[in-house]
Amino acid sequence: MIAGALVHLLPVAQIGQDFFRDRSDSDCISQNGTFCFQWAVDNFTDRYLPPALEHVALVAISVIAGFAIALGLAVLSHRRRWLIPPLNVGTGILYTIPSIAFFFLLLPITGRGNVTAVIALTAYTLQILYRNIVAGLANVPAETKDAGRGMGMSQRQLLWRVELPLALPEIIAGLRIATVSTVALATLAVFAGGDGLGQELVGGSNLTFKTGVILAGGMAILIAVFFDLLLVLAQRLLAPWRRVRPV
Amino acid sequence: MGEPEPAEGATGKAEALSVEFQGASKRYAGTDAPAVDELTLDVEAGEICVFVGPSGCGKTTAMRMVNRMVEMTGGDILVGGTSVNRRTPSDLRREIGYVIQQTGLFPHRTIAENIATVPGLLGWDGERIEARVTELVELVGLDPELAQRFPAQLSGGQQQRAGVARALAADPGVMLMDEPFGAVDPINRERLQNEFLRLQGELRKTILFVTHDIDEAIKMGDRIAVLQTGGKVAQFATPAELLMAPADEFVEGFVGSDRALKRLALLRVSDIDLWEAPLAFVGQATGEVRAKLDGAEVPHALVVDSERRPLGWLTEGDLSTDLVPAQPGASAAPLVELDDVMRDALSDLLQAETHYAPVVDAGGRIAGVLSIEIVSDFLTSADALVEEHSAAERPLS
Repeated sequence: MIAGALVHLLPVAQIGQDFFRDRSDSDCISQNGTFCFQWAVDNFTDRYLPPALEHVALVAISVIAGFAIALGLAVLSHRRRWLIPPLNVGTGILYTIPSIAFFFLLLPITGRGNVTAVIALTAYTLQILYRNIVAGLANVPAETKDAGRGMGMSQRQLLWRVELPLALPEIIAGLRIATVSTVALATLAVFAGGDGLGQELVGGSNLTFKTGVILAGGMAILIAVFFDLLLVLAQRLLAPWRRVRPV
Repeated sequence: MGEPEPAEGATGKAEALSVEFQGASKRYAGTDAPAVDELTLDVEAGEICVFVGPSGCGKTTAMRMVNRMVEMTGGDILVGGTSVNRRTPSDLRREIGYVIQQTGLFPHRTIAENIATVPGLLGWDGERIEARVTELVELVGLDPELAQRFPAQLSGGQQQRAGVARALAADPGVMLMDEPFGAVDPINRERLQNEFLRLQGELRKTILFVTHDIDEAIKMGDRIAVLQTGGKVAQFATPAELLMAPADEFVEGFVGSDRALKRLALLRVSDIDLWEAPLAFVGQATGEVRAKLDGAEVPHALVVDSERRPLGWLTEGDLSTDLVPAQPGASAAPLVELDDVMRDALSDLLQAETHYAPVVDAGGRIAGVLSIEIVSDFLTSADALVEEHSAAERPLS
């Protein structure tokens, strides 16, 4: 059944034809080289840049949505500690569903396309993000919270001015893991009819000609590195106090 | 541009408020014994009241009931004559300074931002906050450069000063201090205590000060409440009364067997009767000096200059010459000042391994002689209490 659906989902034949039409690096291609540089350059802008940007968008939307939900859940359970175990279990269950199965479960409801992919990818980020935000909030020193309350901060002021800023390093650590794993998972969005580098990876992997797969895979890695560096930079800007050296 | 704001003096324009505990109790659910049991005592405006006692005596709980960090389960507490329960906890806390042991400085905010916390919550404008922060940094003796640093970049003592500055920011009428110097090493603690007492001399805040250290309580307190397990007040008295007349065995035990020595910390040299040494002026005939030595309280002659400033003790060798020399054989050290605390003076005597120390006034002129006998006589004398009272009314500096 899955195999049948795969055939249904993938525009494999079309991709295959494209490969043989664009012969600009004929030597390398005819000798079936591992990586045909000229071919990669010729095809980069038209064939690989658009899916790469779609990939970035898929990841960004999924992680931002996941972060918003996880933050909401963490704040909700911060003053209602009893909610933490069920939320951990709930997000944990979402995390354990195999991704392809998740796509097929969603297909009857949301149909093929990016929406299905984003829903699944978002669900996968929840466990990591929720756990990290909760851990970050739990690690705020008791005396710091005591001082904040003792100076007349309301619960809300304490949360936004003291607890969340102090939880930032853990939160960003969670975002880094969630983002990098979402970059990888998003290559499977193609099975849900979504965009992204998955089209080139899955399509290209059926062929003996490997340049496209290597190029698409390499770009996925670069996207992961890009997001990771972005988050490291964000931490430096948002938590300068973490870098100070005690005197 | 509106009317200029009235200057918010660092020296405390806000009036200090009294704090009245009226049978205030705290009983935690599921426990038999109350943590604080019908605490009734009045803290006068502008005084330092120390809550001292062993751990688990409820001293911190009692203090935290004042700003409703702990909610009372019985009785009432009035701050400035108004029940704390008539205000929302947030409003109440913004008007009460709060200093805790580990400073509780916000690690993610600079020292200046930390100090600005309560003014920020009260909605002061930026300019006023900035001026106030600058004023406070100076007041607590922090290097202005440190204002832009994060707490982790400061030493323990500097952090504690910042904590005090933060508590003073909105010029509260009452300050709560929970073991504020407890996390600082002993040498710095002593310095912080002295600085704080000097500061309090200017500010005259009402301060509730919690400590487990009886020596700190005696040093810092205008009055001391000794609490015992179960949150009961065993004695509420001035430091001198506490040392002279412990109310019961518990207080006596807590104050310690060395309480006689502790009393010395409450006294200044000027508070006791000093001895007189025969004076020998430079150039005077030694024969005249020899005559004065007969029957003198101090059996040695002290050489002084024309301004009566001590130069040294006359030795037997000096006496065998005709005239009193300008550089006598024995040094005048240790010199004690009238304003010195007795404990320090005694310590000077013991350290120098001498029997007598010349006491000088602020101008360096001889005012008398302190001897080991004076100290021991004083400790056993009956009228010591009266003397101590007058001493205890002034903060030490």
